[in-house]
Amino acid sequence: MTPEAVKMLAIGLTVGLGMLGPGLGIGLIGYSAMQALGRNPEARGPIMTNMILSIAFAEAIGIYVLIVAIILAMIV
Amino acid sequence: MSEKRGCLGCSFPLAAGILLVFVVLFALGFAAGPLGKSIFGDLGLPGWLSVSRPDPRLPAETVFHLFGFPIANSIIAAWITIVVLVGLSYAVTHRMRLIPARLQAVFEAFLGWLYDLCREVAGEENGRRFFPMVATIFLFVAFNAWLSLLPGFGSLFVIGPEGGHVDLLRGANTDINMPLALALVSFIFVEYFGLRSGGVRYLGKFVNVGKFITGAGQIARGRLRAGLGGLVTGVIDIFVGILETLSELVRIVSFTFRLFGNMTAGEMLLLIAIFLVPWVFALPFYGLELLVGFVQALIFGGLTLVFLTVATAPHGAEAA
Repeated sequence: MTPEAVKMLAIGLTVGLGMLGPGLGIGLIGYSAMQALGRNPEARGPIMTNMILSIAFAEAIGIYVLIVAIILAMIV
Repeated sequence: MSEKRGCLGCSFPLAAGILLVFVVLFALGFAAGPLGKSIFGDLGLPGWLSVSRPDPRLPAETVFHLFGFPIANSIIAAWITIVVLVGLSYAVTHRMRLIPARLQAVFEAFLGWLYDLCREVAGEENGRRFFPMVATIFLFVAFNAWLSLLPGFGSLFVIGPEGGHVDLLRGANTDINMPLALALVSFIFVEYFGLRSGGVRYLGKFVNVGKFITGAGQIARGRLRAGLGGLVTGVIDIFVGILETLSELVRIVSFTFRLFGNMTAGEMLLLIAIFLVPWVFALPFYGLELLVGFVQALIFGGLTLVFLTVATAPHGAEAA
């Protein structure tokens, strides 16, 4: 395989496989938040605040993957 | 009673006209951009309809040198943010009234909401103490992100020191040094408040040799079994202390990359969207960028608040 093909494969696989985790994670957090909201609609404030906080942590992992992909793309 | 007019308050012909203008602009942009060029070929549309290929460079480019310091275009944008924030603060507070006028009311509502959040997360008096920090970080990050959406950022050129074309302005959050600086400030303040509220015992969280030394002392006095138990728990405690130290330091990296990654990805997304279909297509992405700027500012400030609260939590709470 030519070096360009391997490089493209590397970048594509990095982002594709790397974003599986954060995507699933954010989905799970949303799922549990919806369940909690359904059980106790009065606790909407704390539930939403903590959900946004947890989603920020999970999304940061996805951003790390993106940074690695951008760096890989810049190294010719 | 006036009858409610449909189509978002406009009469139907007006709404249809506006929609038609949007569709025509989108079609023009599609035809003139690279997508249209590859599908329809070169239709001979005027050159000013298409956008040149974006060239995103990660490190911020130097614009000029000031007393030997290279001034990058993101620093100029940060200065503009500072001027805007100071100007807004002056405009809001220089004639404060008990029943506020419009601008003061907007900022009162917004800062009041932030203050309630601080008090809710950190408790009454700690919330009051942490509020200036959290609000400054929030306002700075949010205004950096929002001001970078204005026209002029990325389209004004100057001749740089190496002679090439250099953008005059670039969003301040897209230069990795700015989020790094904010993360370091947040880290220093977390440690400062932790030390101030807990004394030197705050450092005991990181260097947890108490049980280890007790265990060693018990072995030296001949009580082997109790001593061994203390030793093992002590080793585990030391390990947990090292992990806590590492997690504090990794927080800096995590803050930096979260803000930098979100802002740079948003900037590249906008550049590519404008390149692909030059006219109407990028509008939803502008909305997304507004939302992302606000959310990232909230996350930076909110996480700082949470870590401050955890650092100043009284020691006895962990025993519960």
